[in-house]
Amino acid sequence: MFDKILIANRGEIALRILRAAKELGIATVAVHSTADADAMHVRLADESVCIGPPAARDSYLNIPSIIAACEITGADAVHPGYGFLSENARFAEVLAHHQIGFIGPKAQHIRTMGDKIEAKRTALKLGIPCVPGSEGGIEDADTAKRVAAEIGYPVLVKAAAGGGGRGMKVARSEAELEQAIGMAKSEAKAAFGDDAVYLEKYLEKPRHIEVQVLGDGRGGAVHLAERDCSLQRRHQKVWEEGGSPALNESMRAEIGGICANAMKELGYLGAGTVEFLYEDGRFYFIEMNTRIQVEHPVTEMITGIDLVIEQIQVASGGPLSVSQSDIKVEGHAIECRINAEHPETFRPSPGEITHYHTPGGLGVRVDSAAFQGYRIPPNYDSLIGKLIVHGRTRNECLMRLRRALDEFVIDGIDTTLPLFRTLVRNPDVQNGLYDIHWLEHFLEDGGMKA
Amino acid sequence: MSKNDAIDPELVRELANLVTETGLSEIEVEKGDLRIRVVRRLEPVGVQVAAAPVAALAPPPVQAAPSALAPAEPARNQAGTVPSPMVGTAYLRPSPDAKAFVDVGAKVEVGDKLLLIEAMKTFNEIVAPRAGTVSAIFVEDGQPVEFGEALLVIS
Repeated sequence: MFDKILIANRGEIALRILRAAKELGIATVAVHSTADADAMHVRLADESVCIGPPAARDSYLNIPSIIAACEITGADAVHPGYGFLSENARFAEVLAHHQIGFIGPKAQHIRTMGDKIEAKRTALKLGIPCVPGSEGGIEDADTAKRVAAEIGYPVLVKAAAGGGGRGMKVARSEAELEQAIGMAKSEAKAAFGDDAVYLEKYLEKPRHIEVQVLGDGRGGAVHLAERDCSLQRRHQKVWEEGGSPALNESMRAEIGGICANAMKELGYLGAGTVEFLYEDGRFYFIEMNTRIQVEHPVTEMITGIDLVIEQIQVASGGPLSVSQSDIKVEGHAIECRINAEHPETFRPSPGEITHYHTPGGLGVRVDSAAFQGYRIPPNYDSLIGKLIVHGRTRNECLMRLRRALDEFVIDGIDTTLPLFRTLVRNPDVQNGLYDIHWLEHFLEDGGMKA
Repeated sequence: MSKNDAIDPELVRELANLVTETGLSEIEVEKGDLRIRVVRRLEPVGVQVAAAPVAALAPPPVQAAPSALAPAEPARNQAGTVPSPMVGTAYLRPSPDAKAFVDVGAKVEVGDKLLLIEAMKTFNEIVAPRAGTVSAIFVEDGQPVEFGEALLVIS
């Protein structure tokens, strides 16, 4: 087991990792930029090292600085959290070269799943159902037209180096195809440095359903049920629930089993999430995230399993603490991502939190690095924290979420709490009747206007 | 955290005894804004390969603060302070047997070597950003430093 973990991240996930390390009796090192010198996890860690100025590129993405921090503190493992270097295969390799543990998957799997074309090829080989699409990248207009005709319009042009909902353009007919490809290619080049694109069938009203998996790196793997993350704004998840309102027990077991078996065959190590679009009873693989995800607490609440502790255990060569038969879904959980943004315009609102009071009570969890007097720096994302609520049924969960949202006080800045207070009272949301476009339409139609 | 903790002589005495009893060469503790470091000098200082152990009485992280036993130190945020541009281990001399690059009182020109910071077996030269006189040196030979940490003052 590791003696000292360096947390190469910030905000709520850094605090989350710190908590798991402490519960395992492992010493903690918090690395931070100058902007995060007063962060909660920095104060709570056993040691801290300032690794650079505010810009992520010079601090949280600065590999030499992080390695140097490992050297001077004697850390024997790094947890990369999510975002930043968490899916940087080179970082994982550099750490291995320095004999420092990387609490994450094997570098080759990070690489495979990081390339969306390669990921799809791999998924197909492993028996995971995929969205019909081009076999690989699209090189020329004629191939594009042929493939699109085979798949059937509308089609989606996607960046191979993209992910997280970025670098995608819809073409509803052959007339639109060439322009869509051109635009997607130049956007991809600008955003990811790689203009390789591929085609997929465009699903009109799918749900986003993802399966949580854990692997021990030696051919053992389990699934921990699914999360429904259909409520999104600009491809960013806003509200997540587990299990999906659209699935029943047997569907959960089926798609979960497919994912777990795929991970066994891959020899996957650590936590991962297999993401699908789901429409008319069918699952379509879109991508796999080889890291712990923001919404992991939803799964923790319905299974009772600490995913970060499992990550640390398998990364140090230990076994998973559960087998598939140990994993039971109990009740229902919903997570709301609370951002420092105006609830209608979504304009970012950095600044000082003057009053902060979190809700409590049975089945209420808040994962946040915020506190009264905390000043949200403008240099990073606007996530203040996550409110996660559990109930024995989805209805009880919704009632509890409503109650908890009404207790939550965050003053001094704009937050998206009012958005969630509105959503939890909305009939479509209450009935689970939404798809990945629902929230955007709701906002466009003035759902937040009084 | 309170900003005006008086230095407790009993604590300092206790730390000094701890250092002697345990055979440590250095012990550093921190409480709030106060950091106390007690150093036992045995031989002429050579390059320390391992970082000195930091024993914390309270959880808060390492921060820069004056040490209690040494004569009153100059403030670390005055004009002319040269901060560390990187994370690593600071060395005041080019090799274990050589003279230090600069001592307190040395006159330096722009570009003169002040110290080395080593990370991942690579030594980086830290040079004077301006001309002047070295009026204070805050780091010891072989001391780990973080980004932005005060290294020395050129006034």
